[in-house]
Amino acid sequence: MTDRLRNLPTMKVHPQTELTLIYAGKRLKGLASDTIATALYANGVRIFSRSLKYHRPRGLYSLDGECSNCLMDVDGIPNVRAETSLLQDNMKVEPQNVVGTPERDFMSFIDKLDRFLPAGFYYHYFHRPYRLWPFFQNRLRKAAGLGRLKPSFRMKGIFDEIYPRAEVCVIGAGPAGMQAALAAATQGLRVILLEARPWPGGFFDYRSTNDVSDIPLHQRARQLADKIEENRNIRFFPGTFMTGFYSNNLITAFQVGKETDYFDERYMEIRVESVIVATGCMERPAIFDHNDRPGIMQVACAHRLARTYGLLPGKRAIFSIGDDLGLEAAMDLFDLGLPILCVADTRSDGQAPGLVEGLEERGIPFMRGWTVSTAHGSRTLKKVTLCTLDGLENRDFKCDLLVASAGLTPSAGPLFLAQARMSYDRFTGFFLPDEMPQKVHAAGRLLGLQDPLSIEASGRLAGLSAAADCGALVKVLIKEARELLEQLPGPVRGSKFIQAPGSGRKRFVCFDEDVTVKNIYQACDLGFDHVELVKRFSTAGLGPGQGGIPGHNLPLIVAQYRRYDGDSSDPILPTTIRPPLVPAYLATYAGKSRNHPKRTPLHETMKKTPGAVFRRTGSWQRVRYFTHDFQCREEIETVRNHVGMIDVSTLGKFRVFGPDALHALQRVYVGDMSKVKEGKVKYSAMCNEDGCLMDDGVVVKTGENDYYLTSSTNRADSTAEWIRYHTRYEVWNFSLVNLTDAFGAINLAGSRSRELLQTLTDEDLSNNTFPYAGYKEFRIGGDIPVRAMRLGFLGELSYELHIPASYTRTIWDMLLEEGRPFHIQPFGLEAQNVLRLEKGHVIIGQESEIRNTLHDLGLGFLWNREKSLYKTVGAPALHFTERQNGRMKLVGFRMEDPRRPPKDGSIIVDTRIRGHVCTARYSFTLGQSIGLAHVHSDLADIGTRLEILEDDMGSKRLYAEVVPTPFYDPDGKRLKI
Amino acid sequence: MLCRFTENTKKAKNKLMWQRPPLKGSYDAVIIGGGLHGLATAYFLARNQGMNHVAVIEKRYIGFGGSGRNTAIVRANQRTKENLPLYAEGLELWPKLTDELDFNLMFFNCGNLNLAHSEAALGSMRLLVASAQFHGIKSELVDAKQCKEIVPILDISDLPTYPIMGGMYHPPGGTVRHDAVVWGLARGAARLGVHIHQGTEVTGINVQNGKVTSVETDKGKIHTPRVLNAAGGYSTLVSAMIGIRLPVHVLTIQAMVTEPLKPILHHVVSSGAYHCYANQTLKGEIATGAHMDPWPNYTTQVSARYIKHQAEALTDLMPCLKGVKFMRSWAGLADMTPDMAPIIDGNNPIQGYFMDCGWGYFGFKSGAVTGKYLAEFMASDQCPDILAPFTLRRYENHKLMGEIANPVNYGPWN
Amino acid sequence: MSLTISCPICGKRDGYEFRFGGEERGPRPDEEGLTHEQWCSYVHMRINKAGIQREWWYHQEGCGSWFTIERDTLTNLEVEGREET
Repeated sequence: MTDRLRNLPTMKVHPQTELTLIYAGKRLKGLASDTIATALYANGVRIFSRSLKYHRPRGLYSLDGECSNCLMDVDGIPNVRAETSLLQDNMKVEPQNVVGTPERDFMSFIDKLDRFLPAGFYYHYFHRPYRLWPFFQNRLRKAAGLGRLKPSFRMKGIFDEIYPRAEVCVIGAGPAGMQAALAAATQGLRVILLEARPWPGGFFDYRSTNDVSDIPLHQRARQLADKIEENRNIRFFPGTFMTGFYSNNLITAFQVGKETDYFDERYMEIRVESVIVATGCMERPAIFDHNDRPGIMQVACAHRLARTYGLLPGKRAIFSIGDDLGLEAAMDLFDLGLPILCVADTRSDGQAPGLVEGLEERGIPFMRGWTVSTAHGSRTLKKVTLCTLDGLENRDFKCDLLVASAGLTPSAGPLFLAQARMSYDRFTGFFLPDEMPQKVHAAGRLLGLQDPLSIEASGRLAGLSAAADCGALVKVLIKEARELLEQLPGPVRGSKFIQAPGSGRKRFVCFDEDVTVKNIYQACDLGFDHVELVKRFSTAGLGPGQGGIPGHNLPLIVAQYRRYDGDSSDPILPTTIRPPLVPAYLATYAGKSRNHPKRTPLHETMKKTPGAVFRRTGSWQRVRYFTHDFQCREEIETVRNHVGMIDVSTLGKFRVFGPDALHALQRVYVGDMSKVKEGKVKYSAMCNEDGCLMDDGVVVKTGENDYYLTSSTNRADSTAEWIRYHTRYEVWNFSLVNLTDAFGAINLAGSRSRELLQTLTDEDLSNNTFPYAGYKEFRIGGDIPVRAMRLGFLGELSYELHIPASYTRTIWDMLLEEGRPFHIQPFGLEAQNVLRLEKGHVIIGQESEIRNTLHDLGLGFLWNREKSLYKTVGAPALHFTERQNGRMKLVGFRMEDPRRPPKDGSIIVDTRIRGHVCTARYSFTLGQSIGLAHVHSDLADIGTRLEILEDDMGSKRLYAEVVPTPFYDPDGKRLKI
Repeated sequence: MLCRFTENTKKAKNKLMWQRPPLKGSYDAVIIGGGLHGLATAYFLARNQGMNHVAVIEKRYIGFGGSGRNTAIVRANQRTKENLPLYAEGLELWPKLTDELDFNLMFFNCGNLNLAHSEAALGSMRLLVASAQFHGIKSELVDAKQCKEIVPILDISDLPTYPIMGGMYHPPGGTVRHDAVVWGLARGAARLGVHIHQGTEVTGINVQNGKVTSVETDKGKIHTPRVLNAAGGYSTLVSAMIGIRLPVHVLTIQAMVTEPLKPILHHVVSSGAYHCYANQTLKGEIATGAHMDPWPNYTTQVSARYIKHQAEALTDLMPCLKGVKFMRSWAGLADMTPDMAPIIDGNNPIQGYFMDCGWGYFGFKSGAVTGKYLAEFMASDQCPDILAPFTLRRYENHKLMGEIANPVNYGPWN
Repeated sequence: MSLTISCPICGKRDGYEFRFGGEERGPRPDEEGLTHEQWCSYVHMRINKAGIQREWWYHQEGCGSWFTIERDTLTNLEVEGREET
């Protein structure tokens, strides 16, 4: 490991805590608080990866993870951003997209083939002759992609999620962000402060320049950070990357846990009243030939390597920069011991005089109006060519480090996501907000400010403005803050957009996708004239770094092209920025596992019942079988011959009451609900306005203007909404209570159910006092109140018992216990499905579909046409379709071969598809195979022969005959015993 | 520097994919919407119907709307006999078009695996499979084990929220590079003389005596006897110009991609229960699509909710994907109809006004073939049989199409 | 996109607590003399205004009431403080 600089006040790594990492099989040492990239750099690693298309060597460039240069495989996880991921002990790190080693990659010959690989080359090649395309496609697929994920990979770690709320959220804990947070917090507001780096400080953090009060900026950062820490209104989240900014100020982010945290990463959704964006700037990549060579890095990267990580990059350095920060960094790095051969500045004037003097004092040659034109070196940097901007003069320098930057560009991603109206500002060369969304503010460097005091003042102003959004009385303070800011230096003129002279083919605009300036021209040449189209065609900015590297240059190059093409009218348009701003693991987004199905009050009992097979049905977990005979013969025969019971607690249960309750029922049910009598149940259906069956259930009148009704399981969540929706214009006086979860329900069915139930109650359950379609409330098992209905869904004497949820298990257990002599057995959904099929009853969604009306299902008789006064939902459609021809009809059928039911979903055909089988089963009760099918009305007559085609049947067919339903007990005698 | 550009520009003229011709005062047909449907119709009008004097009017840039925002999945395993032939022919068209346009549309014939998580879902899939097989389209039902053989990264244990019980495998399906289709068709159409006017907004459609006479744009008036509304998510707004209302809900549907990986997912996988479909693009990204925000809007903004949901769904089905990162999400407009089938109609009730809309989130799959038949319709004024079922009149005739079985849950009206 | 909606009873809440209930277009037409076209127009046809529209919402995970608000479909933001006209 290289020796680190010592005793720097800005250092964040801990020289006394060494960590191990294994890189490409070798054991290396890093320090605590190193990132993976800085640890590797400290160990002399210069080539971190090979590029996507050309397999060019790539190295450390920005330290902020803006490009895929430092994406590495870490512990089996692909595409880890080594620049921003903290080193942990015993990490296994591998380079990516490498065939061989990063130093010697066998695919690097592709770099020489770039002439044959213009932008979008794959659109033009490989498809002639077409039969060869699959081969090339396969090659392309294998060549593409960066990291490799093993199918057996399982993410380790704890992934949490939090949903904090506060008044103000500040994004970025640099000087502006910290001042903003303090200003808002001092007004008594709760502030959430997010910072991507593991510590606050932003670009003050690594600078030793003094501010006006003569303390170094890094010390100033410390002061502010201390105040943040002391302020109890501020929650500071370091290591937190903002991913999304949604309207109404919803911010999403993820935080990477430190060693002391209980989580590895956590997803955050932050809802606040006001947001301050203080994300500062990143650097504009300088564009010159081979601008991607390892050994070339941005100013802040070199500066932070030294100041934060104690690593002096390089032994012979050249600077080619475009702003004062570059000059400052050169001086500081020189003072720290970096030999600098010269500093080239694209600006011919305008430098801060102190900085120029500083360079002179140190004897560093300073070349105004010069820039780098070419980098040399086959793998890492060996030499650079500097030239004047007109390209007339040039000089070569042997070196191993080129610190290159064209200036600054704002990290305005959050503003774009917030839908701020952004436009290109020619003075700063920034995309700046013309108009901010409500309650969103920007502060600091991303507005073009460079002066430390201005930056802090703008932060304070933004913090106060956010406080005002939250109702704080800060008018006077805002006025003062604004006046102060106006007295301080304003935005600084940005460096000009400069492309180095020369016509090198390897001037990269986008590192991730290996897109060069030439590729951009190629796209423009083809007529892709909108920056967004150029982006899509050239793929610049579509890689893991998204807009990071090309975000600034691409729009300018396209605009420049268009200007030369004679189109000067077009404004410079940015490319679209989309969330997540920083890529985030699916594991992080997924957070905690949330498989929490709804359970019925009988769930625990069911779980203990031998043989119970559960299925997720909608939001519920329910038992489908109590046996591994999926035909459920025993369950069915028990109901038909003895008595069985099923958990139907999922049914929707509602109370509707009040003077206008009946009106509401008349509106939504197709039947005449005035016919509901006390002590009786009425079965009816609800349709939508198309006349399509939406729900069925029973209604009971429990008192004057007081009704109890059930809905099917799937409609339980929407029945209240439905009834209220369809009565929303009325001033009817009724109330509606959803009792679904308040009651459990058991359907006790079978000829012996009365005998069994009678053992548990003194209530007279005889057929006379409690006949079919009757309703009774009584107590069983001593003191448990039940609501009992005699229903006929399954075709047997049966009682649907609604029991307070907490007692449902007790009743179930009692029935099971007392039912032993009656051979009672629980049955599941599949047995119920067959039992009701034998009765020809429909299940909503299984036998009904969107193109059927109630008539098509043979349920037209449920509709009472005499109540147009009530505007019954669906009634007009029922009128219109009552006698319409050519509709699909639901019919019952019996198979010619009694042993062979078609599988559900089989289709009915002649020369065309004419319908399909909804449900078909072998009926043990009848010794026949029966089913319900949708067929075209031509085929709906009794006696019609149906040709049925299952999947994988070829030219074979099954045959059935349309028969009347119910199949079982057509007169309904068994219901009424 | 300057000379480099001029040199470039000179070279460019004969390389241009499409020219930027001036807007003329009259065209034989005006197509509103420079997406896949509009461009395909323009291309086939010029190529098959000899109608070259056609303008495609696009408010933004070509492929701005749904054509550039979908997840590019193609398949032909529809539910109804009305839809099946159209999608089947659409699927066969991609290789042909690639050749004809001399532009690689990058049809990736990887096959689609649609997962079933319940017995009921398997039944619904059997209907699709049997119907497809009846029409000679390859499709088969598979059990959970076979699902895992096809897509090894699936978790077929009981651990997922909705355990996998089986699925429907549809080998002829796959993906097509959506941008390539738009650009290929635009180039093809432009070479046949079609004028593509980007950055031009239609502001009105003029009708006289029940016939279309002209189209108003922000760049001037165009006389034309034929107009096609192929404006996708914006089709109700265009339709309103002529006083026709549509049974369309404009919703946003979201999609996202992960960072690029070496090939790991070799098929299109989808699951209704999870509201999720995913495939790995040629570039190596896992592209996946998602829910719709159930309230109409024109923002094309994504929401925090669905990228999270999508991560939950994907990692439930394919646990290894927990180690991949989402890097981009976006949204497009879907013009949803109540029966999940498009509205294709013309000369009804206004002579010369054609519509091709209501394609919801499935407009990509058969966009090109629809353009072919629509061109025939527009040129001959005879609706081809294959398009006839998609008439707007089906709603007032109470005959919704059965492309979806259960009512779509857009709102409380169903 | 992250919609918030002001429920007249529960106040401003996350949009996902609510269900969209369609454009406001008045109560259902009477059955008498109703034509197929009128019915279809009422049941299926939508305006899909690009701009501010009055529309229905249901507070599903809240008080369970139906109410109308104004929302701009171009920004997906509720237009607050506008009374029903």
